[in-house]
Amino acid sequence: MILFDRVTKVYPNQMIALSGLNLHIQPKEFVTIVGSSGAGKSTLIKLLTREEVHSSGKLIVGGLDYDTITARDVPLVRRRIGVVFQDFKLLPNRRVGENVAFALEVSGARGREIKRAVPKMLQLVGLASKEAAYPHELSGGERQRVAIARALIRQPKILIADEPTGNLDPKNAWEIIELLLKINRFGTTVLLTTHNKEIVNALKRRVITINRGRIIKDEEQGRYTLEGGK
Amino acid sequence: MLQLWRVLVAGARNFFRNAWLSTAATAVMTVTLTIIVVSFISNSALTDTIKGLTDKIVLSVYLQDGITDEQKALIQNRLKATGDVQQIVYVTKDQAISRYKEKNKNNPVNLEALELSGNNLPASYEVHLTDRNKLNDVIKAASSPDLKPLLDQKNPISISGSLKEGVQKIIHGSDFVIRLGLIASVIFLIISTLIIFNTIRMAIFTRRDEIEIMKLVGATKWFIRGPFLFEATLYGTVGAIIATALAYMLLLGGGPQLRDYIDVQATTTFFTSYPILIIGAEILIGMCIGIFSSLLAMSRYLKL
Repeated sequence: MILFDRVTKVYPNQMIALSGLNLHIQPKEFVTIVGSSGAGKSTLIKLLTREEVHSSGKLIVGGLDYDTITARDVPLVRRRIGVVFQDFKLLPNRRVGENVAFALEVSGARGREIKRAVPKMLQLVGLASKEAAYPHELSGGERQRVAIARALIRQPKILIADEPTGNLDPKNAWEIIELLLKINRFGTTVLLTTHNKEIVNALKRRVITINRGRIIKDEEQGRYTLEGGK
Repeated sequence: MLQLWRVLVAGARNFFRNAWLSTAATAVMTVTLTIIVVSFISNSALTDTIKGLTDKIVLSVYLQDGITDEQKALIQNRLKATGDVQQIVYVTKDQAISRYKEKNKNNPVNLEALELSGNNLPASYEVHLTDRNKLNDVIKAASSPDLKPLLDQKNPISISGSLKEGVQKIIHGSDFVIRLGLIASVIFLIISTLIIFNTIRMAIFTRRDEIEIMKLVGATKWFIRGPFLFEATLYGTVGAIIATALAYMLLLGGGPQLRDYIDVQATTTFFTSYPILIIGAEILIGMCIGIFSSLLAMSRYLKL
């Protein structure tokens, strides 16, 4: 599903963010990526969403070789991947339903299709009754659910969750993780980055630890460890 | 089509959402387009007024008594050679006297003065011009040193009696007004371009989160830029409609008063005959300003 083959990313200021990274993620996997700030997690995600372009190596996502895509293809690439962030990134002046529908609107979906898909997706994330609410009327956990609904509305094969629990209390954080697990059970590959030790340890799923742009640990049913394996 | 519709709806929503910015941008666009259309009206009306005056201008070149037919032909040819002469009419001494008598038939003093001078009026060429601006060229040609001895020494040239100074002043005045209108139009074109540029720049800045989300969910560049472009064309369109309404109010409402000073008849007829053309041209200019300004702002501040 995702293949990083000796991928290196060097920023224009000569900072090496990723150095010869090798990573293979299978379809339907639930993978957690951990690492201290500046380890290269964000760069890895930006390469997947094509916000950044790798400097060397090969990157293949869902069978698509990123070396072959042009600027025109980038929106299409992004439509194949769902992404949620710590700060939710919702449109504050649009209702919950409109936020979710927005992802379909940009891809040219018809109104009838949108009207059918949005309530279903809100039901999946447990927000069926909040379709008409504005983001500021929701709790942090609910906002993150809206973001997840928006990311999933186009039924992507891959969902990237970049610190999705960073702004949430433990109860809401666990609810979001349970939702991600549920989505994974439906067949979506989930890539989670987090600093939350309890969550990583409790998940008992594959954990990849990155440090200074390299993978220093890759364990099935791994645990959260800091640099040096402590 | 569906995508285009969504882009237009988003642009219209942005237009109404930033009411103050939109009002300011539309207001300056209205001022600019009003200046342009008023310049057009004044240009057209002044041109008609001057044409009306200059059509009546006749340059009279008075001839010295006793010059030969060859000398008369030389003067006539020299006048024709300027290329600005529509028609030259030769007026004999007798014709000049009869015209004078006819004109002054109710003025015994003038008639007596003619008698006292021995019924002596010079023959002349009446020159009708093609272009008012060439008046001086024709006068210069007639006043050349070799022709001077052939012309009447007391009063060699006259322009429709004593109208010369007045006409020249009107010509200079109208040229100034037309030039002023052009300069004001250009200045306000630049100002409105800068203001719309700034409005779009601010819109990009205030909507940077929205733009980021659009990119995130896979919006194309066109889908992101389209609303800004449409928003700017709305400034132009609304400004054009208001400016055109103001112009019609000026022409139709103020027409009777204006008619005392300038000839607005032809301009009014044109405006009432082609309202679609007028508003279409105004909207086109407004949209062009909007599109140009927003493209400029996006190229600088909207990196996708």
